[in-house]
Amino acid sequence: MNRRHPFLASLIFMAAVMTIAATAFGETLYVSAKSAQVRSGKTSLDPVVANLTLGDSLDVISRNERWLHVRTANGIQGWIYATYVSPSKPAGGDNELAALGKGFRRTDTSGVTASAGARGLDKASESYAHRAGITQQHRDAVDRMTASKIPDEEIQAFLKAGRLGEYAE
Amino acid sequence: MRNKLSHRLFMTGLALLAAAGLAGCAEIQQAAEGVARNSGNERLAKTIRGGGTLIGGLLPIGYDEERIIGQAIALQVVARYGGVYDRPDLTRYVNLVGRSVALTCDRSDIDYRFAILNHDSINAFAAPAGYIFVTRGLLKTIKNEAELAAVLGHEIGHVTQRHILDVIQRSKQIAGVAEAGLAYAKTNPDAFKNVIDGAVKTLLDEGLDQSKELESDRLGVIFASRVGYDPAAYETFLTRLRTLKGDDPALFKTHPDFSSRLSAVQSTISEQKLPATGILLADRFSRAASGAL
Repeated sequence: MNRRHPFLASLIFMAAVMTIAATAFGETLYVSAKSAQVRSGKTSLDPVVANLTLGDSLDVISRNERWLHVRTANGIQGWIYATYVSPSKPAGGDNELAALGKGFRRTDTSGVTASAGARGLDKASESYAHRAGITQQHRDAVDRMTASKIPDEEIQAFLKAGRLGEYAE
Repeated sequence: MRNKLSHRLFMTGLALLAAAGLAGCAEIQQAAEGVARNSGNERLAKTIRGGGTLIGGLLPIGYDEERIIGQAIALQVVARYGGVYDRPDLTRYVNLVGRSVALTCDRSDIDYRFAILNHDSINAFAAPAGYIFVTRGLLKTIKNEAELAAVLGHEIGHVTQRHILDVIQRSKQIAGVAEAGLAYAKTNPDAFKNVIDGAVKTLLDEGLDQSKELESDRLGVIFASRVGYDPAAYETFLTRLRTLKGDDPALFKTHPDFSSRLSAVQSTISEQKLPATGILLADRFSRAASGAL
């Protein structure tokens, strides 16, 4: 019984040290949105001081309702809208099992991806369309859909006009 | 003597195949296959190749394959539903709402694309890799942007949870098919077509498991709420849908009853403490839809 006490004491000491360390160095969060801005203040009207992308890490300095005071990996401090971050690092892309499966299936992306650049259906899809008797009009529709892009700035302007996301009042 | 050699080669092949599995390296598997073939043991070479194929069939579908599958299913959806509705301004508006919701969904690293199907029925579909469709008939029943955001959020939920890919993965395993994507589409296009046709049948005619639909209802209201839309809008929309006499039996055949759906949405709003923001944006929706439907 006596032997247990030093062990328990060590455990309690280690837990205390870990808690203090966590508090001292702040919580680490990750950007969970495709893109996000760090601003100099806690409103959407404040200037952007850093542009981040999915998976970027941040240290939390303090919290204020819907906004977090953070420090980026480059040491830039500012405020980020809380919806754009998550405590767990987003997976993004294929997981390890999917990548392993791709290796076994011996797929060759470069050999079958069609139209270089952003535009167009993949060759394999074109081949499927031909085999399935899909009309050119319908192929063009999915082709246009595949190629369609909307710049992030336009989506931000749309959110702002609707008082949505970080632009909410 | 030959049996002993064959046995040794067989064991070497198995060991190399296992190593390939552990390392995730198709080259090792190919090397093992080559050693067996060069030694004159074609049967072993086929076994090694078949082993890799079997393992490949059990592993998840990667994004490159998902994109091919998504495009092929999208082609069938467009063909079956009379093509897309050619109203660029309205299509852009639907894309702005959908992409705003997708910005903070649980799988925001891929591109989401939205199109309107030129069809009077009330329905929406999601193909893998972010190809999402709403019918003109569905847009006519929607009263504000918050309702549209939740409907698109529901479809985005099908993509984030890879619901159709699950169906394909299961059918692949039953059929013992490894390659449903790029290589398969190229080397065995007829079998690839069968895989796609089966998925389209599930999506358009039979419907996904009810649990998947309810999960997407929950995610739809969560994703729309993250952007700031009022979550109660989805309840209002589902209640309206329940009172409508849908002329498309597919919607009611392929989705759970409205009581279950409303219950799932209400419990999600309550459990997740989704805030009642009052943001519906009915005017912006009306302006976008005005004269276009």
